[in-house]
Amino acid sequence: MEQNIYTTIRKIILTRMILVPFIPFVLVLIIGYYFLTTSIETSTVSAMKRIAGDHRHMIESFLEERKKDLEFIGNSFTFQQLSQPAQLHRIFENLSKESNAFIDLGVFNEEGVHIAYHGHYKLTGKIYKNEDWFKAVMQRGYYISDIFLGYRQVPHFVIAVAQEEKGKKWVIRATIDTFMFSDFVKKVRIGKTGEAYLVNSGGLLQTERRSGGNLMDKLEEKIKYPESPGDTSISINAYSKGDQYLYMTTWLKDKQWLLIVRQEKSDAFKDLRSATYLTILIIIIGGGIIVAVAFNLTSRVVRRMERMDVEKDKLSQQLIGASRLAEIGEMSTGFAHEINNPLQIMKSEQALIEMILSELKESGKLEESDSLRELEDSINQITLQISRCAKITQAILKFGRQGEPVPKDINLQKFIPEVIGMVSKKASVHGISIKQIVSDTTPVIHCDPSQLQQVLINLFNNAMDAILERYGTSGGELTVKAGAKDSKRVEILVRDNGGGISPENLKKIFSPFFTTKPVGKGTGLGLSVCYGIIDSMGGTMDAVSEKGAGSTFIIHMPVAV
Amino acid sequence: MEMKMMLVDDEERFLSTTQKLLLKKGYDVLTATSGGEALEKLRTSNVHVVILDVKMPGMDGIATLREIKKQFPTIEVIMLTGHATVESAIEGLKTGATDYLMKPSDIDEIIQKAEEAFMKRQNLEEKIRVARMRKIIKSPREIINEMDKM
Repeated sequence: MEQNIYTTIRKIILTRMILVPFIPFVLVLIIGYYFLTTSIETSTVSAMKRIAGDHRHMIESFLEERKKDLEFIGNSFTFQQLSQPAQLHRIFENLSKESNAFIDLGVFNEEGVHIAYHGHYKLTGKIYKNEDWFKAVMQRGYYISDIFLGYRQVPHFVIAVAQEEKGKKWVIRATIDTFMFSDFVKKVRIGKTGEAYLVNSGGLLQTERRSGGNLMDKLEEKIKYPESPGDTSISINAYSKGDQYLYMTTWLKDKQWLLIVRQEKSDAFKDLRSATYLTILIIIIGGGIIVAVAFNLTSRVVRRMERMDVEKDKLSQQLIGASRLAEIGEMSTGFAHEINNPLQIMKSEQALIEMILSELKESGKLEESDSLRELEDSINQITLQISRCAKITQAILKFGRQGEPVPKDINLQKFIPEVIGMVSKKASVHGISIKQIVSDTTPVIHCDPSQLQQVLINLFNNAMDAILERYGTSGGELTVKAGAKDSKRVEILVRDNGGGISPENLKKIFSPFFTTKPVGKGTGLGLSVCYGIIDSMGGTMDAVSEKGAGSTFIIHMPVAV
Repeated sequence: MEMKMMLVDDEERFLSTTQKLLLKKGYDVLTATSGGEALEKLRTSNVHVVILDVKMPGMDGIATLREIKKQFPTIEVIMLTGHATVESAIEGLKTGATDYLMKPSDIDEIIQKAEEAFMKRQNLEEKIRVARMRKIIKSPREIINEMDKM
């Protein structure tokens, strides 16, 4: 029952002590985590978007510049001039000084015949009339091709510009160094796995990809194409090889090439992962601390409550005991006093009867007979019973009203042997050996010596009675022990090897009028008087006993200050 | 000289029986049921020893004792107390009682204490008498003077 209450209290306190800090703790972490991850995501994405945009502009302006280069050549020289290989060679040399992007330069007439060419291949005289690029440049005025193999069977792409001279169109074309261009596109670096590459509208790689993928390879991943040029599309896609990538795709201006900037998701959101791990770590450690502290505090609080309850119970029991004892004392005193008056009268009457009887006998009016003897016996009995009553009332009065105590410092090493001396005669007559063990370090106590003596003699007498009852006149042993219990208390033990006290009796042993002695032998007040005396001295008195093994009375007295 | 006693107690039966007993033993005994009555009777008769109950309705034992000692300082008073406590006895002794007895007391105890008290009183009177005698012997002129006065 009691234990259940503490278990319930423990549960209640524990849940509250865990929940109350835990809820705000977790809420703060969740909110913090949410905003942190959102901001990391946003900043990561916008950084990538910016990089993609910048890179697109660079590529665009690169192509634009190359186109301008060719236009400049076309505007500066006539078809005639350019048709001469020596002139073309000189122009190419000059062009190379400005930019090493060009690997060859060629001039075509209206019919698509390669009139002049400077480069590593022998392309002069080849007819391009039906090539897609030639048709496109004739139509639009300029053209940037996708990567293709062409006559030379090497992946390359060209920039061509159409010029008009005297009603006749001609075309100037340059091949861009594919590897140089590829390196130029590739050179973007984002984190560990960030990379950039171009694909055409058919999904063929136009530049090499750092993580693998050669020119003109078909792209394996499905990519979201932005709707119009200049738009940037963001997507997170699983690459077929397993890893998730963050994609940023955007169309180049004036060219059906798609710039793709991608980074492995785990790389891109590395900070995010760290934040997650940190959050989990904080939850585990923080939660652990909260739980540990809650357990620790709860068990302390509950333990303290239990201890306080026990103390409270003990105290209230003592209070009840003390007040009941005082009440009984008060009542018995009045009672004893009232009894004494009638006893006095009875005693006088009895004395009168005796006197009259003896007078009658003397005068011979009363003859000796059995009846007379019985009468005398009866009168004697009355005398005896009156004195018995008187003893009881005297004991009660002693119990109820202790004299004013005169406390003194008592050295138990001297005091106890003195008191034992008072009963040693009786002990030796009954064959009881008395053992005294009084520690040399027993502190001095402060109390009324005659009261303490009364208590001790009472205990000694009780002990000897118990021993006699069991052993008769040999084998009895009475032990008196004294010493420091702790720094504040002195302990006096009175132990006998008598018959012991049953547990039921042990409970009532300090109650007034409780006695196990035969009628007329004890008043039942001795131990309660002792208890009252020790209590008034600020000490405690207790008894332990085992039926058949003897009893021990324990007195704790405060050390003299 | 015969001892004359007075018993003071509110228990009339105690008074009458004890009186009877004491009379049988050959003592002259007066009784009173209250302090006031006792003082009244002391005025008219020459009592040597008073046996006085401590607890009485009205004027209690201690007050009566005080009054007796004030009015008749040579009367010996023995307190009879129902309390077996030393305190009440001590208080009585301090106020001038010769001795105390605890209830219930034997008639013999009462007689013994009364005799002792009477002896004490007699000793005292003896001393007073001797002192007076000395005075007389020392100054015969004074005797003559006194005789003249008489």
